[in-house]
Amino acid sequence: MDERLERYAELVVRVGANVQPGQEVFVLPAVAHHELARALTRQAYSAGASYVHVLYNDGHVRRAMIELGPDGALTYSPEWLKTFFGSATGNAMIVITSDPEPDLLADLDGERVGRAVPKELVQIQVQLLGENAVNWCGIGAPSERWANRVFGEPDLERLWEQVAFCMQLDDPDPIGAWRAHVARLKERTAQLNELRPDAPRYRGPGTDLTVGLLPNVGWMAGSLETTGGIEYVANMPTEEVFTSPDARRTEETIRSTRPLPLSGQIIRGLELTFEGGRAVRVEAESGADLVRSHFATIENADRLGELALVTKESRVGQAGLLFYDTLFDENATCHIAYGAGLPFLLESEPDEGFNIANIHVDFMVGGPELDVDAVLADGAELPLIRGEEWQLA
Amino acid sequence: MAARVSDNGKRLERYAELAVRVGANVQPEQEVFVHGLVEHAELIRALTRQSYRAGAAYVNVLYDDQHVKRAMIELGPDEALTHSPEWLTTLTQRTAGNALLGTSGNPEPELMADLDGDRLGRAMPLAVAELRREQHLAQNVNWCAVGAATAGWACQVLGEPDVERLWELVAFCFRLDEPDPVAAWREHLDRLDARAAALTERRPDAIRYRGPGTDLVVGLLPSARWGSARFRTSGGIDYVANLPTEEIFTTPDCRRADGTLCSSLPLSLGGQLIRDLQLTFEDGRIVRVEADTGADIVRTHLATIENADRLGELALVTKESRVGQTGKLFYNTLFDENATCHIAYGNGLPYAFDGEPDEGMNVSNIHIDFMVGGPQLEVDALMADGSEVALIRNEEWQLAA
Repeated sequence: MDERLERYAELVVRVGANVQPGQEVFVLPAVAHHELARALTRQAYSAGASYVHVLYNDGHVRRAMIELGPDGALTYSPEWLKTFFGSATGNAMIVITSDPEPDLLADLDGERVGRAVPKELVQIQVQLLGENAVNWCGIGAPSERWANRVFGEPDLERLWEQVAFCMQLDDPDPIGAWRAHVARLKERTAQLNELRPDAPRYRGPGTDLTVGLLPNVGWMAGSLETTGGIEYVANMPTEEVFTSPDARRTEETIRSTRPLPLSGQIIRGLELTFEGGRAVRVEAESGADLVRSHFATIENADRLGELALVTKESRVGQAGLLFYDTLFDENATCHIAYGAGLPFLLESEPDEGFNIANIHVDFMVGGPELDVDAVLADGAELPLIRGEEWQLA
Repeated sequence: MAARVSDNGKRLERYAELAVRVGANVQPEQEVFVHGLVEHAELIRALTRQSYRAGAAYVNVLYDDQHVKRAMIELGPDEALTHSPEWLTTLTQRTAGNALLGTSGNPEPELMADLDGDRLGRAMPLAVAELRREQHLAQNVNWCAVGAATAGWACQVLGEPDVERLWELVAFCFRLDEPDPVAAWREHLDRLDARAAALTERRPDAIRYRGPGTDLVVGLLPSARWGSARFRTSGGIDYVANLPTEEIFTTPDCRRADGTLCSSLPLSLGGQLIRDLQLTFEDGRIVRVEADTGADIVRTHLATIENADRLGELALVTKESRVGQTGKLFYNTLFDENATCHIAYGNGLPYAFDGEPDEGMNVSNIHIDFMVGGPQLEVDALMADGSEVALIRNEEWQLAA
C-alpha cells in the first residue's frame, strides 16, 4: 500500500471533508483517479463512515454523448443521478477536481459542447452547495498528463512530491499541521474582520492600487462550517485570506507577478489600470487580447470580484512551480480576481458594490516586493504584508 | 506499432458493436445502462460509442470498483454490507424497459482472498438484488454480458500480463475471425436451439451425471424447457444474454437432487477461487460442502441466503464450444461455464418454462454456476418409463439434433 497516498487521503478525510462517524461519504473521482478514490474510501470507512459511495465520471463517455448522441441527451439529467446528489444532503463529499484530459473535447463541435449541461442536475448541485448542508472538500490528483503540463515530461513521482509538499505530507503529523495552519488563517481573518479596513492598498513594481471594501462583506479563510455545525476545508491546499471588494472603488494600476494559464494561453506581465472601479486599460507581455475580450464581451468582467492575501508560509508558493491548476496556483501568493464576487461572503443583501458577472479569473500579484496596507476609515494606514510576511499581531 | 494499435482499436469497436447489436440488441430510443469495472474503461467507452451509434437515447455508465467493495467489507460497518443506496435502486428500476450491458473479466481475482468469508458472502445490496431478480422474472430488460481483457485477467489465464493475447482468445470465442460474425452467431444459436428443442421434446424425468467424484441425479419439471441464451423480452426484443454462449440449459426440480457432485474447474467467486468443490445432496438440498479452497464463502451463501442450497440450473456444453477449444481456463464464469457442462446453485431460470414457472423452480437471491463437465463426464437422460438415453459422451452430443 502506498503510504503517501493513504496519508493524503487520511488528511482529506479528517481535515478537508472532516467526515463524521455515521455519515455517508460521496466520492467523485474520474476513472483515471481510481487509486486515490480507493484510498479515500478506505480512509472514510476508517473514520467511521456508514457507507461510501464512489461515482466515477469518464470524459470519454461524455465525449461519446456529445459526438454521437441525440440532441436530447446533451441536457438530460438521469433520475438516478438526481437521487445521488439529493442523498448527499447532511453527508460528506470529496470531489477530485483535476481534469485528467483537459483537451479531450477540443476537436468537437463547440456549440454542442457548450449545450452539454445536465440542467436539472447542475441546479441540484448548486442548491446543495448553497444550502451549505454538506461538509465537502475539493482536491487534486496527480497524473502523468498533469505532470507533463507542469514539467514538460510525464514525471508522476516528481509531481507527487510537489503535491505532497503543498499538502504538508512531509510533516510527521500532517493532520495536526493542517489544523494549526487553518487556525492561523482564521486568526488572520478575525484580525481583519475586527479591523474592518476601508480599503487595502497594493504597492510594488508597476503596482499602486487601492480597492475599497464593502461594509457588509467580511474576510474568510481556512475552514467553513455546515448548517449542522461541521467544520470543513472546502479546498485543499488553501493558503488564502480573502474577501470580495466594492467593485466601484478600484483606482490605479496592478501588475501580475506570475504567469496565468487561461483558456489554453498563458497570460504574462498583465497590467490593469482602473478608474472608478472599471479596468480602462489592459496591457500584457502575452495574452492581453484574451483578457480584453473578456472585458469587452462579458458584463462586469472589468470590475474586481476578489482580493486574497497569501504570505510566504504558503507551501504552494515555496514550491515555486506553475501547476496549471487554479486549485494550486491561486494559493502560491496574493491574488486578485476580476469578475464575479463570492456570494457566500455576504453578511446581508448585496448592494450595488458587489460585483455580479459570469466569469471569475484569479491572477497572481504577490511577491517579495509587494507591500499591502490597510487604509482605515479615518485615513490611517496599517501594514498588512511586507516581504511576504503577515504584519498584524 | 501504430497500425497494430489502430487494428486493436478497430477490433475493440467490432467487439463492442457485436455486443450492442447481437447481444443486448439495443433499440433506437432505448436508454442503455453499462456496468463494469474501472479497469474495463476502454471497452466500456467502446460500448458507449456503439450504443449511441445504434440509436440509444442516453447511455448511463456505472463504474464498479472492487477495491471500494473490499474497503467496505474490510473496514465498513455491518449495515453497509447489505445496504442498497437509493440512487442504485433508482438506477436499477430505470433499467426496466431498457438495455443493459455488463462487462466481466476480473483484473484481480484473488483481491478478496484474505477477507473474512462470512462478511464477503453477506456483502450484497439486498434490495437491488431483489429488483434484479424481479426484472429477470418480468423479462423486461434486453441485456448482455461480455468479457473485458485486463492485465490481471491475462495473468490468470496465460501466466503473464499479455492483454493482447487474451484479447485474441476472447475475439476467437466471439467468432470475430468469421467473415460475418453476426451471421455466424445466428447460425450457432440456431444449432443450440435445435438441440434444446430436441431435448425438450423427449421430456426426460431426470438428468444423471457420472464421472470422477460425481454421481448425481437431478429431477426435471414437467413444464420446464431447454433453451439457449437467445431470449426475447416481454416487449418482444430478441437478445443474447451472454456472449460468448455455448450452452443449452434448463431449471431442475429443486426438490429432487440426490448424490454427490465434484466441480471440474476452479471457480472465481467474489474475489476467491473455489477449487475442487464437492457438494452432497439429499432431497434437493445441499447437506455437505467441501472444497480445497474457498469452501467458507459457499457455506456462507448456503447458510445465509434462502434456498441457495438448492439447484437452479443445469447446462450442457459440448466440444464444439469455442471457449472449450481454446483449452484455457479463464477464471471467469462467463467464459468457463461455456467451456463445459455446468450446474448452478440458487435461483432458477423463470423463463425456462412453458407458461408460468413450476413451483418446483428454486427462488433465491443468488445464482452461482460451477463447472462439472470434462472428457470423463457422462450425462444421461432418465426417462419416466425407466429407460436411459445417453446425452453426452466424451464431450460429444449424442442425440440426433
